[in-house]
Amino acid sequence: MGLNPESRARFNLERASVLLLEESSMGMSILVQILTGFGARTLHRCENVDEAKDAIAKVEVDLIICDTLGAGGEGYDFIEWLRRSRIEPNCFAPVLLTAGHTPSNAVARARDCGAHFVMAKPLTPIAVLERILWIAREGRRFVECDTYMGPDRRFKNEGVPAGMVGRRRDDLHGEIGQAETPNMDQEVIDSLMKTRRVEL
Amino acid sequence: MSVKIHTPPVRLAKLLRTPGGLPVADAVQRAGAGLLSLRQDCLAELKAMLEVAEAVAARAGEGYDAELLGELYGVVSKPIGVPSVCGLTSMDTALISLSDLLDYLKGQQRWDANAVAVHLRALRLLLHTEGAADAAGTQAILAGLRKVSQRYAKPEAGA
Repeated sequence: MGLNPESRARFNLERASVLLLEESSMGMSILVQILTGFGARTLHRCENVDEAKDAIAKVEVDLIICDTLGAGGEGYDFIEWLRRSRIEPNCFAPVLLTAGHTPSNAVARARDCGAHFVMAKPLTPIAVLERILWIAREGRRFVECDTYMGPDRRFKNEGVPAGMVGRRRDDLHGEIGQAETPNMDQEVIDSLMKTRRVEL
Repeated sequence: MSVKIHTPPVRLAKLLRTPGGLPVADAVQRAGAGLLSLRQDCLAELKAMLEVAEAVAARAGEGYDAELLGELYGVVSKPIGVPSVCGLTSMDTALISLSDLLDYLKGQQRWDANAVAVHLRALRLLLHTEGAADAAGTQAILAGLRKVSQRYAKPEAGA
């Protein structure tokens, strides 16, 4: 994405309600400094999953930044719980998952827990801001099925795999036949793009 | 299996666009200044972490001990990200290398006291030199640590 740290483009986090789940006090301090630097004022600081669940039940949050919480990966469990909780609108909130170290047996859990993005530590302000702006984009689709609930994990749409029936509403069905007419000349295409003076 | 795909509204997107707020450059600068204010606390936390890690490693016997290995992994993986706040990015790299090593050892139910010890000694060195003295030397240390931890990346390679 490449957000320019010198950019004068503005964003506003003043009215956003942000839940931070981080067990390490220093990790929490780092997140707080970054978020307050960005202008966020309402931070719900949670040191464990129980506190975070409590907050989710009581307040509306616009963004969740959650650590994986050690080798046990309680952070993954929390996000899975959040997505299945049906506590709207929090269950659809953008989630940024931060990870210090991901054990080899937890990579699939990180992918499947329902977070919008997994971010490896160390965190830098520009990288965190870049990800917040990215996960906040509107129009991101949500998938709900027996085995997964969370944002659509497919970053590109290359069509339905050969021999399969697509499950997306906008998947194309049927056979694509051979072209019936020759390709257009480049000159014709260029003339379609050319601006012309018109009289009304 | 039924699949439901929908597009929930994102309030954050609207809030970000509301008038006021901060330019990106100012926000990043403010956040960076805030992180600088944590520097001394971070250094103190890293010193304490290293002492605990050394104490845990000193308790290790010759063989594999799942509980001890898990405890050591918890101690060294938790502060990843903290050293960079103090400008000690090399220490973060060393912590990740040690966490990798412990993860590999756990997967193979093995223990290598020397490999752990060399990481802990390197961490102490990196903490005290604060990464300032010798960039080439620091890179050589990190490359050496990586080589040690990667010996166990594949079971047959470390055996």
